[in-house]
Amino acid sequence: MSPWLLGPVQAAVALMLAPGLVGAIRWMKARLQSRQGSPPWQPYLELRKLFAKEVVVSSNASWLFRAAPFIVFGSTVTVTLLVPLLTVPLPLGGAGDLLVVVYLLLLGTFFLALAGLDPGSPFGGMGASREMTVAALAEPTVALAIFALAWGAGSTNLGQIASRTLITPSEALAPGHVLAFAAIFLVTLAETGRLPVDNPSTHLELTMIHEAMVLEYSGRYLALIEWAAALKLLVFFSLLGNLFAPWGVASAITPGALLWAVLALALKLLALGGVIALVETHIAKLRLFRVPELLSASFILALLAVTASFLVR
Amino acid sequence: MSPEIVSQLSVGGSTLVLLGGLMMLWRRGVAAHIGAFTFQSVALAATMAMVGWFAGDWQLWAVAVLLLLVKGIGIPLLLKRMGRRFGSERELEPYVNTATSLLIGGLLVLLAYIVTAPLVSVSRLPTRTGMPLAIGLVFVSLFIIISRKKALTQVLGFLMLENGIALLAVLGTHGIPIIVEIGVFLDVALGFIVMQVFVYQIHETFESIDVEQLNRLRE
Amino acid sequence: MRALFFLMVSGYATGAAASLVLGTGPLARWTSTLVAVVGAAAGLGLATGASMGGAAFSLEAPDLLASAGGLAFGLDGLGAVFLALTSLVAAPSALYGAGYSRAWDGRPVQRQAGFMLNLFLLSMSLVPLADGTLTFLLFWEGMSLSSYFLVMTEADRPEVSGAGQWYLGMTQMGLACLLGAFLLMQAGGPATFAHLRAAGAMLPAGTRDLVFVLALIGFGSKAGLIPLHVWLPRAHPAAPSHVSALMSGAMIKMGVYGLLRIGLDVLGGGPAWWGALVIGLGALSAVLGVLYALTEDDLKRLLAYSSVENIGVIVLGVGAAFLFQSLQMLPAAAFALAAALFHAVNHAAFKGLLFMGAGAVLHATGTRNMNRLGGLIRGMPWTAACFLLGSVAIAGLPPLNGFVSEWLLFQSLLPGIGAPSPLVAVLMVLALGMLALTAGLAAACFVKAFGITFLAIPRSPEAVAAHEADRSMRTGMIVLAAACLLLSVGSFVIFPRLSTVAAPLVGLPAPGPVVRAGLTLQTPDGLAQMSPVIVTVGLGLVVLVAWLAVKRFASRRPLRVGETWGCGRVVQTPRMEYTSTAFAEPLRRIFAEFYRPTEDVSIDFHPDSRYFVQSISYRSAILPWFDRYLYAPVIARIRFWSERVLTLQSGSVHAYLAYLVAALVLLLGWLVVTGQR
Repeated sequence: MSPWLLGPVQAAVALMLAPGLVGAIRWMKARLQSRQGSPPWQPYLELRKLFAKEVVVSSNASWLFRAAPFIVFGSTVTVTLLVPLLTVPLPLGGAGDLLVVVYLLLLGTFFLALAGLDPGSPFGGMGASREMTVAALAEPTVALAIFALAWGAGSTNLGQIASRTLITPSEALAPGHVLAFAAIFLVTLAETGRLPVDNPSTHLELTMIHEAMVLEYSGRYLALIEWAAALKLLVFFSLLGNLFAPWGVASAITPGALLWAVLALALKLLALGGVIALVETHIAKLRLFRVPELLSASFILALLAVTASFLVR
Repeated sequence: MSPEIVSQLSVGGSTLVLLGGLMMLWRRGVAAHIGAFTFQSVALAATMAMVGWFAGDWQLWAVAVLLLLVKGIGIPLLLKRMGRRFGSERELEPYVNTATSLLIGGLLVLLAYIVTAPLVSVSRLPTRTGMPLAIGLVFVSLFIIISRKKALTQVLGFLMLENGIALLAVLGTHGIPIIVEIGVFLDVALGFIVMQVFVYQIHETFESIDVEQLNRLRE
Repeated sequence: MRALFFLMVSGYATGAAASLVLGTGPLARWTSTLVAVVGAAAGLGLATGASMGGAAFSLEAPDLLASAGGLAFGLDGLGAVFLALTSLVAAPSALYGAGYSRAWDGRPVQRQAGFMLNLFLLSMSLVPLADGTLTFLLFWEGMSLSSYFLVMTEADRPEVSGAGQWYLGMTQMGLACLLGAFLLMQAGGPATFAHLRAAGAMLPAGTRDLVFVLALIGFGSKAGLIPLHVWLPRAHPAAPSHVSALMSGAMIKMGVYGLLRIGLDVLGGGPAWWGALVIGLGALSAVLGVLYALTEDDLKRLLAYSSVENIGVIVLGVGAAFLFQSLQMLPAAAFALAAALFHAVNHAAFKGLLFMGAGAVLHATGTRNMNRLGGLIRGMPWTAACFLLGSVAIAGLPPLNGFVSEWLLFQSLLPGIGAPSPLVAVLMVLALGMLALTAGLAAACFVKAFGITFLAIPRSPEAVAAHEADRSMRTGMIVLAAACLLLSVGSFVIFPRLSTVAAPLVGLPAPGPVVRAGLTLQTPDGLAQMSPVIVTVGLGLVVLVAWLAVKRFASRRPLRVGETWGCGRVVQTPRMEYTSTAFAEPLRRIFAEFYRPTEDVSIDFHPDSRYFVQSISYRSAILPWFDRYLYAPVIARIRFWSERVLTLQSGSVHAYLAYLVAALVLLLGWLVVTGQR
């Protein structure tokens, strides 16, 4: 199979797995809370329903409101082309590295925040303001964690970081690696809007961040945005999984290896999803002004990761 | 155990010990602080045991067990009892807010790396890689002592300082003679008892263990 | 090339003359604009020619100002980059200015503005061309003075004269420092740059350090580095918008040019603390600039602080180049310098664009206060689209040019972590963290700037009545917007050229390290790569495919328009939307220790009962640190001593005659004494 074809295959796999991941997490949370919960394939049904529904747009909104879901969705799908989901080396590895991934996701956040401001509702404004605050404060952690990983591997190229751990398995338990993992895990909670930063299932106006920005969306626009959010979660999980524990990733583009890679990816996603479900069941949402403390703690972890990586020479 | 693995493990162990100190800066509440101290002492005992295994020194094993018993179990129990008596008052904002304290903690760790660079380059032991983190813990504990308002937290900061020095000694020299360690323990225990008395007295006088209230003594 | 030089100079000179001679109507306005555009095009041609390699351009004119040593011009790679940058912003700004200054038709200020604009462009273009001390300082001061007059164009507005005073004071202070630096370097020889280079190698270390610090202060104040930035947020909003675009886009880069010329070219680099100091100042400017930009409600002041932030980022790259050069990590130094130069060019493009957009908004609504704007995307669609593009670019988001230069800067700092000295490694780690924080906060800042100004419902009648900018203003903006996109997509051609320029400055032979492989940009050690072209094309394709798929497979029901969800509330007024102050509130609270806002709440109670409130007034202000703790005491001191000196001005004729006689006596006495020896 030609490497260029691998890109769309990877994107398609990600698009198909993402709603299932969200559904699985919801189901696990429900079971942990002694509830029945909706089945894990519920998000697929929701997406199908939303695409078929009528779209209502606010009279105050402009063309940006209608364009933003495509930009958010497009940037997140582009990210799936650049991340080591199934194979190492990556199909488009020379086009973008970890920094490109982070900033493409920030592009999506930027337009989502603008779309929150567009209808002129105070909820949208509040969501946009809070989301940009959290995103801005998470940036230093992400940069330092990237450099902690890159320093060990010699490059910010994702394929290279992943293969470094494949070549020397003991690297996986190096203190720098573990600290970087912890830092990126905390950032994942912040960026994907999970507890304790944001509650993905709340619709109480004063506690929403992500939900507040998308409050005005309906129909296919909402479907695109929800799908993009699920995809973002999948991307972060696959980074956590395949950068720190890359076993199972295909090194050759053969159907057998790819199938194995998909299976390994699904397992890692479920494992991380389980951890998230546990975390979300055990802790309460933080006040917005306590979130910088959490992000400072993750920054310190990333800082320790960098110093542990380069000072153990 | 090869020197590389010892190197990695000492960095890992020292990081956990340092994280205990940083958790004191992050979490609020007496229970969380005591938990952080307990975590730190257990991590320190484990690191000492690891170094003891590598160096083949039974004294370090003994010190590790003693550390676990006294600082990992004994002192936290005593502190919890103290905490139950005085801990029911409202949370006090420290002098420096949490996010800034964490950033300052990070800067102190970086400073520790710069300060110990000559030490690390001279030493030949594989455990030298954890030494900057131990010095970092010393700095962070000093910062905890100056920036927190509750007397109980300051006592914990002092105990963490002692932990940091012990860690530095173990990583830098692969051993503390047990006689010296027992002596240090007795000093700490004595100091701790004295501090308990003080905290009790402060509480009796002011109905709170806010150290800021001490400047009312001027009146 | 000589022809292009003369075309450029005569273009601007003719424009100046045309403004003076042809009156104050549209003829004068358009003539001076078009001739200026020709001059700018010639400048761009000259710069491109010089940077292609080939023969370096030089021109001596010893008979001009012969008594002071004559003028000398020369263009090498470094100068070419800054000349190109200036010309890139000059042409669209001049076009934009033609439309913007229509309001001054028939008034004498039109003549002054046109004349000074051309003079400004001329002197600013000749600064990178200067090859001798006199030439450099002459055109430097010409640039400062002409821009002062341009800032004072609309002197009827109250804040303008204060802004002018601050600006003039800071530029003269900078000039004094530069004079000192040049005098020290010269050490008695001729005042050409060639001699300065030779003499610079032989100066004692203490003198070199002093020269560097003086140059840093002088050029730093022009660039807008913290703590010498205070004139920027005052002067940029006060000036007319095309002037602000030029000042922010091109003039402040001349500070960076001067620092590079003196620090790297003439002095040939220095000890490691030079680089560390510059990195520190750059990182500080970046973070503080964006923090102050976040809480601004005035659109142009926000853009001015954002310029401080971007200059901090550029200077961070420059400092890294200095540092790596002193540590003999030459490929890394060349890469960092090239990344900084690229960011300078990119910033010129998108900051010019943003200021033009802000000017169009000001022109259409009469206010810069974002809390009184909103909904302009409907009345001003072109301006909004251009401003959006500029916002995405300055926030450093793919696929535009801001992201490419940020990526390059991040990658250029990475080798520093491996430096032998732990101090350097720690400094690099901190610089990385601060750069990342700046990028994130800049994104937040421009969501606010674009979102509050252009989206949602208009917050005032002026915003409702806003009309689109006229064709010349639109053309200027569209040209720069296209430039932003071209700089990103064409970066695989432009960046290697910049790397070729940077290499000789840090001591590497001409082609420099390899930074390009086909369509991708890569670091000198070949380990990190990125392709802006592929990312842009990929993103575009994916969005297109998604749009087509949704059109095909989603519901065919028509879109329905309804009211914004109001929780059951029926009416939506502009009072209910988020304001710019509200948007920045969480960050303001988080960084409250830094901002130290003053708050003032006064409540009017009903005279009969304290349970009923008639009105509540809330006022909050943030006075920047440097104004409060650095400049206010200094100004107080200066005022104190001026008042002392004031007693000399007694008004009495006898006193003045006495002064004359005393001076004469002293002079005669001195002549006698020195004659005796």
